[in-house]
Amino acid sequence: MSAPALAADQADRLLRWYPKAWRSRYGEEFAELLIADICERPRSRTRTLDVARGGIVARFAAAGLCGCTLEAGDQVRVSLVAFGCCAAVFLGFGAAMWSQLTIGWQWSAPDTAATTVAMVLMSAAMLAFLALALAAAAPVLWSVVRLRAAGLAGPAVLVVACAVIMFVGGRHFGNGWPGTGGHPWARQGLVPGGVAAFSWASTLSVSAYWAHPAALARFSTGELAWMALSPLALAGLAGGAAALVRRTELSPRVLDFETRLGYAACGVMAVFLAGCCAWIVDGGAGPRNLFHAGAIDVGGAVVMTTAFAAARQAARVARSGAGRQGAGRQGAGRQGRLGAG
Amino acid sequence: MPGERSSDGLDGFGRYAGPATLILASLADGAKHGYALTKDIESFAGVRLAPGTLYEALARLQGQGLIEPVESHDRRRPYRLTAVGARALRAHLDAQRRVADLGLRRLASGWGLT
Repeated sequence: MSAPALAADQADRLLRWYPKAWRSRYGEEFAELLIADICERPRSRTRTLDVARGGIVARFAAAGLCGCTLEAGDQVRVSLVAFGCCAAVFLGFGAAMWSQLTIGWQWSAPDTAATTVAMVLMSAAMLAFLALALAAAAPVLWSVVRLRAAGLAGPAVLVVACAVIMFVGGRHFGNGWPGTGGHPWARQGLVPGGVAAFSWASTLSVSAYWAHPAALARFSTGELAWMALSPLALAGLAGGAAALVRRTELSPRVLDFETRLGYAACGVMAVFLAGCCAWIVDGGAGPRNLFHAGAIDVGGAVVMTTAFAAARQAARVARSGAGRQGAGRQGAGRQGRLGAG
Repeated sequence: MPGERSSDGLDGFGRYAGPATLILASLADGAKHGYALTKDIESFAGVRLAPGTLYEALARLQGQGLIEPVESHDRRRPYRLTAVGARALRAHLDAQRRVADLGLRRLASGWGLT
């Protein structure tokens, strides 16, 4: 093979570090530069490392986790989608942990101040999450209904179908569990028993039972099927919502509003994590071992911390995009005034 | 908002401000494609920008509206400075010159280095 052909081959391999959208935009010209560079310096480990790093950064940028390479509006949209996905992961694990504690409290109150404070913090954060989620969904739904753009029907149907599955399944399996819905003292806990049971049933798949096949085998077929189906429904819900946000032409004002809500949600996540850590660090199993923090809870806390860090970064990038949008509008106005002057 | 705080349009670039300034300075005398940019920057700054770093900065500069691609039938697409980019470069270099002037004056008075 000739030297230019070898260089082209190497450039082609290096290009694979970059995401598809980036390659379709910059691929040809970047390959030309790489070929010229390879012909000049055939062996360069620095170049390989530099291209690999650039490719990873481009992938993060495409995922909305680092910025300034997309149009301001696109950057806000993509970052908000990334934020939503991180928040969904955080909520999935957080709700599983929280429902475990709320169900414990249905039977007996915690016997340490740390767990009590943790429960209050986590419950307040869950309530705040609900309020923020409703506030975030309202303008998006309104835009979807108002615009009725092509390509929105599929994601909208997916969102509705997955929400129905989660609601019906959560209600069914929540009511079927003797520790919550059917309990005679179901209202003695911090939150209503039905809410705790629904949250528990919705996140049944986040369970240490996966590591104990003998215990898992004692579950009914229906519960096992639900443990497999519910994460798919949650993923479908998050994926459908992400597609709606991506495909809907949301106004700059709505994007700015959603970005501010994202920042507020980061604060709520921090409060929830603080409560979660207080409970785990407290370490008390509580009466009848109801508040025992196991390895899965520690693992869940690690996942939630990672999701929180990624969500915070996505919110920061979305805000920088919103800032660029605002600056662009101001700049256009200023330019007009300067031109007139 | 970050955009409102920006004094010269390059504040948000952080550690990419170096490559960004070099690229904008190189494009100040006309459009250039990637390889020509690398060579020009190497000649006037003594720095060879690696391909990944160069295109990371180009993508950011384009996203910020400081440069724009020029229509080309060649696979090597040239870029040129926009009016916003020219103003941003001017403001950035003015700020750098103020720092350089001050540093040189202090070196001259304090260390006798002229």
